[in-house]
Amino acid sequence: MLLTNLGPYSSTAPNGGRQIAGSMTGSKISPRLRRWLEGISLWLAVLLFLFVHPVYAEASETGREGAGEFHFVDDAGQRLGSATLLNTDYNVTVSGLIADTRLRQSFRNTSQQWREGVFVFPLPENANVYGMTMTAGERVIVGEIHEKQEAKRQYAKAKEEGRKVARVDQQRPNLFTTRMANIPPGETITVELNYQQAVRYQSGEFELRLPTTLTPRYMPGQALDNEPAQWSGGWATPTSAVPDADQISPFTVRPDDVGPDSHRATIALEINAGLPVSRVSSPSHRVTSTWNGNTVEVAPESRAVLMDRDLIVRWAPARGMEPAAAVFQEQWQGEDYLLALVVPGVNGKQRLPRELVFVIDTSGSMAGESIRQARQALLRGLDTLDADDRFNVIQFNSQTHSLFMEAVPASGNNLARARRYVKGLNADGGTEMASALDAALEMTGDGGEESRARVRQVVFITDGAVGNESALFGKIRDGLGSSRLFTVGIGSAPNMHFMREAARYGRGTYTAISDLSDVARPLDELLGKMEAPVLTDIAVSWPGQAAATEAFPDRIGDLFRGEPMVQVVRGLPAEGALDVSGRLPDGSQWQQSLNLEQAANGKGLHRHWAKQKIDSLMDSGLTGKIDDDARQHVIRLGLEHQLMTKYTSFLAQDKTPSRPTQEALETDSVPTLLPAGSQGTMLRYPQTATMSPLLIAIGLIGLMFSAAITLLKRRVYP
Amino acid sequence: MNRLILLLATTFATVLAVGLWIPFKAMVAQELLELAWAESQARQQETRPWPWADTWPVARLMVPETGQSLIVLDGAHGESLAFGPGQVVGNDGRAGPVVIAGHRDTHFRGLQHLETGSRVKLQDRDGDWRSFRVDRIRVVDSRHEQINTAQLPRDSLLLVTCYPFDGLENNGPLRYVVEATAESLVTANKADNALAREAVAGT
Repeated sequence: MLLTNLGPYSSTAPNGGRQIAGSMTGSKISPRLRRWLEGISLWLAVLLFLFVHPVYAEASETGREGAGEFHFVDDAGQRLGSATLLNTDYNVTVSGLIADTRLRQSFRNTSQQWREGVFVFPLPENANVYGMTMTAGERVIVGEIHEKQEAKRQYAKAKEEGRKVARVDQQRPNLFTTRMANIPPGETITVELNYQQAVRYQSGEFELRLPTTLTPRYMPGQALDNEPAQWSGGWATPTSAVPDADQISPFTVRPDDVGPDSHRATIALEINAGLPVSRVSSPSHRVTSTWNGNTVEVAPESRAVLMDRDLIVRWAPARGMEPAAAVFQEQWQGEDYLLALVVPGVNGKQRLPRELVFVIDTSGSMAGESIRQARQALLRGLDTLDADDRFNVIQFNSQTHSLFMEAVPASGNNLARARRYVKGLNADGGTEMASALDAALEMTGDGGEESRARVRQVVFITDGAVGNESALFGKIRDGLGSSRLFTVGIGSAPNMHFMREAARYGRGTYTAISDLSDVARPLDELLGKMEAPVLTDIAVSWPGQAAATEAFPDRIGDLFRGEPMVQVVRGLPAEGALDVSGRLPDGSQWQQSLNLEQAANGKGLHRHWAKQKIDSLMDSGLTGKIDDDARQHVIRLGLEHQLMTKYTSFLAQDKTPSRPTQEALETDSVPTLLPAGSQGTMLRYPQTATMSPLLIAIGLIGLMFSAAITLLKRRVYP
Repeated sequence: MNRLILLLATTFATVLAVGLWIPFKAMVAQELLELAWAESQARQQETRPWPWADTWPVARLMVPETGQSLIVLDGAHGESLAFGPGQVVGNDGRAGPVVIAGHRDTHFRGLQHLETGSRVKLQDRDGDWRSFRVDRIRVVDSRHEQINTAQLPRDSLLLVTCYPFDGLENNGPLRYVVEATAESLVTANKADNALAREAVAGT
């Protein structure tokens, strides 16, 4: 094929060139030579026609596909076809234990066509979205909560009719999608979301995390064979384990690909902790803090930060002012809501010999900075082992591999072998987490009596970039036995929902490492906590009823060092006293009473309560499908409290059409940025064409042109 | 005037020659690479085809359909693609997917003749042949789609080239992707015989 195509060019074309050159050097031109020249030009013309012909073919072919199964952005579009620029603005107000965020996403259409923008974005793992507004120029349209199917239907209708419309759906508890149709050419539409979240308080420090991007997730399972060429919003196609894979896999691009005007976030925090704050820090960004009485205003030093990593802000109360207990109250629609926090403040000093299993994720998504953090974390974990402990190291990507057949004593020899093993770990391949969980949870040593006396702990080091979280949670819950599972989140944008829930089902706790220089502190704290839970069998009794049925979380897990007990209840006025009791590691009883009458006024407690209740209803979905009752209950709660859930979505639509229906609407999937330091598993397609055809065409055209001029010249001036 | 025309003609003749030089170079280089491949198989180490090359042969790709036998080079940078198809993602041993890219104007021009069900063979340095069956051929837009190496099945082979095959544009966004899955491992000796026969038939 190669040869036959090249043949004519290589034989004829240079000949032609020589002939023309020869003819021009002669001062006189004979009629014979002229005929020669004419003949050659004719040949060149034929060749050129053969060559130019494919150009038309190209144009018509792309045109056909553009109209058919592929959705291509016009060639004038940007490199990745993203003509929609995205910028976000976070405005966070923390009051007490609840952080309230106003998130503005503005979509600017830089193209000449009407656009629909689709943006998949992360929110904090415990975010509770309760409000949405769409702003288009002067018009402000307040979004309403609808059942998801109904919202979808109305969205499609409005989109069809050319009315401006925006919809926000929940894909995962920490993953959402904004869709916005009929953005006029050259204009900006803003979607404003309001959400609240509980601030994490542990070991005398508050922590707030604002995710801005997500690590591309691995989708296990077999590809579902439905129209493979169907273009969708994501890079992944649905699989048997993740049927909505295409919905949660936005394209990932590097910051250079989006240009300087897109994917920037402005962030401002106002911390109103209700007590003097002594210190504000951020391991992820350089921040400035301004004290204003008890209020602290925090913002990143650079005005607009790149959306390629989570923003983490920590603040600590002044020394000696750490809260031991707190109560907040709120009245909403005639109902009382109470939120109580109790810090047991006890230290378990007892240390039992343990069996520690380290599981490290070496999948492709960990490549780059993440795997270095993970190795560092694991090495530090190995350092804490005592001679009477037993341990093992398991790595997993597409396959699971464990260093030892079973847990071995932490002798110098074994530790040295483990260190060498860990230093040689590289990240590559898929994230088949289920088999790793099996290996970590099922591997019980044959030590019999001896191993039963040990505390069995699994430390799971991962970025949580998987699409089948809930199946994994089910696996943890069913296979846990007497083990405890602790998770360590790795990277610039770990899936914190996975960390938190996996640890909850694993009766452990979680932490996250965001930077190589920040490995020691979070990890030491986690390893310290792991020594022993300080409080177990916790019972909370609210006044007026023996068992508070409407208190959430309804079953409080074990508490580790420095962790508070937090519960929210509905239908109780701030009267009487709350009793919290539990068992200390040495077997003795611990009890504390909290006077509810000193309750401070809180905001958004009812939403927090509803969210907790929804979460507990959704937990039943792990065993299989969520039954209709629970589903209806979730929808009812969502509509009543105006909350976004898996079954309820926000929708804002304009009443009057703005796009003339004869004009086309292009859909644009807005990409997310590759998390900082991540190499990513996504490869660009290489450049696979040469200049050759173009050069040959230019050469041929030029030679023909020269020949034509020569001929013309001889004809006009013989 | 004559000089001007002469200048014009020589310029375009040069352009044409450069244009023709690219496929010529690609063709001749493959011959040289054959030697380097034979040497690297014999010595079981990376052998550079010429001292200043920044790439080396890593595999041999056979397309029985077109009778083509190509030496695959390491990496898909301009330097390697000029001389042979480049291995973007690869495995020295057995496990893991393989992605090979090539120029649509030269080495991978023949990909357009592949169809679902066609066979493609890949030989590694040990001389073992693996046979792949084409499952699917797609045209992708590289502005929208990337290769997700974590998502590829471990026994898959991806051949990538530009699309359309007759296009003039050298940095167009479309890619022609041939997806194939390994069938079975053919033992070295049997495959060598089969190869010899096929090579004769192919030429």
